Amino acid sequence: MLTAYRRLLLFYPAEHREQFEQEMVDVFGEAQAENQDKGAIAQGAFYVREIAGLLKGAVREHFRVVFGAHAGLSLYARRFTMRDGFRFPKTTAVLMTIILAGLMLAIKRGEDIANSLPHVTPQIGPIQPMHSALLPPIALIFAGFYAAGLIGWAILFALRRSGVHRLDEISAERK
Amino acid sequence: MTLYDMSHEAIMEQLPLTEPVLLILLSLAGEPRHGYSILKDVERMSDGRVLLSTGTLYGALRRLLDGDWIERFEERETSRGRQAYRLTAHGRRNLQSEITRMKHLTRLASLRVAAKES
Repeated sequence: MLTAYRRLLLFYPAEHREQFEQEMVDVFGEAQAENQDKGAIAQGAFYVREIAGLLKGAVREHFRVVFGAHAGLSLYARRFTMRDGFRFPKTTAVLMTIILAGLMLAIKRGEDIANSLPHVTPQIGPIQPMHSALLPPIALIFAGFYAAGLIGWAILFALRRSGVHRLDEISAERK
Repeated sequence: MTLYDMSHEAIMEQLPLTEPVLLILLSLAGEPRHGYSILKDVERMSDGRVLLSTGTLYGALRRLLDGDWIERFEERETSRGRQAYRLTAHGRRNLQSEITRMKHLTRLASLRVAAKES
């Protein structure tokens, strides 16, 4: 069981493992030895509690790595603050607003052109919007891919494999 | 501003503490302890109601170390040279603030409940 416990500790950030791994294994070993005399239900409850605690702790530690050390203590009061390096860039918000405005303008212009067409020849106008049966499934597939990509990136980010943290280190070195 | 210069408001911002964290701090208030000793003391203090897993315990210890509420040192008495933990002056002050806050709350609660009953 100690081997399995050590394996589960791999879910923790390397920094946490370096500092606490051996100590956690020792404490788990002592608690396990004490529980050996108890019944099957008590032992089962002990292992469930340990596994759940480890997984929850690993998530919390990764969270702490992402949001900074101060997020930890603030969590006692059910709050957390975002680290400066991970603020949503203002330029992105401005760019998104410009793109949205451009899109709205294009739709409006398209409607104006459609309304300006002479209605004398019914074969030409007014232009009717095309309804395709293919569009909703395609949109759904794209949304699915987008969600999968987002989840994948979030996992990489949490595991510090996305490369974003390296950029953060570069800027810190320059200081 | 160092952690020791924290104002009363800054301390109060970190309160209330969760029950496991409060029990860990109370466990260390009497004497320094190592991980397993804290685990058992928390269980004893709560009459077996709060059973900490090692993941929960070390997550809390980690955050308390980061906040300078506790410090870690090597136990010299044991042959294994185990790591032990003790409260810092800052941690003791914060614990005292939490106890004062709780006292005020229980006093207020008693008064309100007594007023309603009479």
